[in-house]
Amino acid sequence: MLSLKKKTEAAAVSSEMAPWHPNLRNFARLPDTKVVRTTFFINGASVFIALALLLWFAFQEYKLHNLDKQIAEWDRQIDRDKKDSDKFVALYGRFKEEQARVDEVAWFLKSRPSVSLLLTHLAQTLPQDIALDSYEQQLQGLVLRGTVRGNPDEASGFASTYLDQLRGDKVLKTYFDEIAYSGSGVSRNPQTSRLSFQFFLRFKPAAKGGQK
Amino acid sequence: MAGEQIVSFLKANPISVACGALALAVAVGIYVRADRVPDMENLLNQKASLGERIDANLKNGAQLPDQFAAISAARQQIESRLIRPDELAKNLQFFYKLESDTGTKLVDLRQNLIIGKAPPRIKTYYIGVGFTIAVRGDYTRLLDFVRRLESNQRFCRIMTATLGVAGSSDKDRGGDVTLNLSIELLGLP
Repeated sequence: MLSLKKKTEAAAVSSEMAPWHPNLRNFARLPDTKVVRTTFFINGASVFIALALLLWFAFQEYKLHNLDKQIAEWDRQIDRDKKDSDKFVALYGRFKEEQARVDEVAWFLKSRPSVSLLLTHLAQTLPQDIALDSYEQQLQGLVLRGTVRGNPDEASGFASTYLDQLRGDKVLKTYFDEIAYSGSGVSRNPQTSRLSFQFFLRFKPAAKGGQK
Repeated sequence: MAGEQIVSFLKANPISVACGALALAVAVGIYVRADRVPDMENLLNQKASLGERIDANLKNGAQLPDQFAAISAARQQIESRLIRPDELAKNLQFFYKLESDTGTKLVDLRQNLIIGKAPPRIKTYYIGVGFTIAVRGDYTRLLDFVRRLESNQRFCRIMTATLGVAGSSDKDRGGDVTLNLSIELLGLP
């Protein structure tokens, strides 16, 4: 069987024994007897590589074109809306200043507890056997002085009950964080022989962000 | 001779040579243009971010003119109720009116002068103008006085308040009581 491979002249000379007659074949002109020529593979690979690179380049250009298009779209939108947006930003700056003024007034009004509300509430919840002698609202708290009706042994109980009542009062809890005896606490008044008491109701600390 | 060989090689392999040349040219193109992609992506992100911010501004600002008009009107209304520290007579008139409306008696009334006051630590638009007041009357009238003071035309906060009877007997409790107040009215600086 004949070999399919095209022999070169040198191979023909080296692979065989010394010819017994001159080899007159012109190998360059002999036809390639291979089923698929080597150049086909080389050409195929070259075409494949070139096509692959071309596709890559085309995809990259397509991507760039898309990006360019999107950027142009955003630029158009920005140019169209920027003027109105700047106007709103400036207006918002003025709005914040106005709001700060209103907030300052609101804070001013809330920064101290209402005396009329406290007085009214204390009057409404005052037990029958107790009379308030003085109401002294200071910056840190409120000093309440009062007198208890009745015998001293009963009266001291009334004073303690009143203190517990104040401590449990839901309205007062919104203003004060501590309610306790102060000064001489509970003592007998030598002029009236009645029992006097003094409480101190300490204000809750001001909320953060407030100005003093 | 080498030149002839090259020419003959080119002639013998026209497709592979042409494809090789094309591939080389395209590879150079890819290399040269490759840097533009991340740059363009960064630019697009910046533009998109700016565009979205502007879009959000437009959406959020749709109601802003109306809200600004409302808050501006409120501020003007507020400022019409503020006092001016230098208008002493006018400021005191407010308390005399309260006195006559409530039937109490002003024992003492002074506007605290602001002399060389240190500037506030944070920016403030208004100042509290201090007043010292002593007013006498029965408990009900005094409570009315305080209520009107706190809910009247002026913005008022009571810093300290002392209300007490003169003695501790039942007779003392039935009479007039004195209320000492240290207050601040909100004013324009």
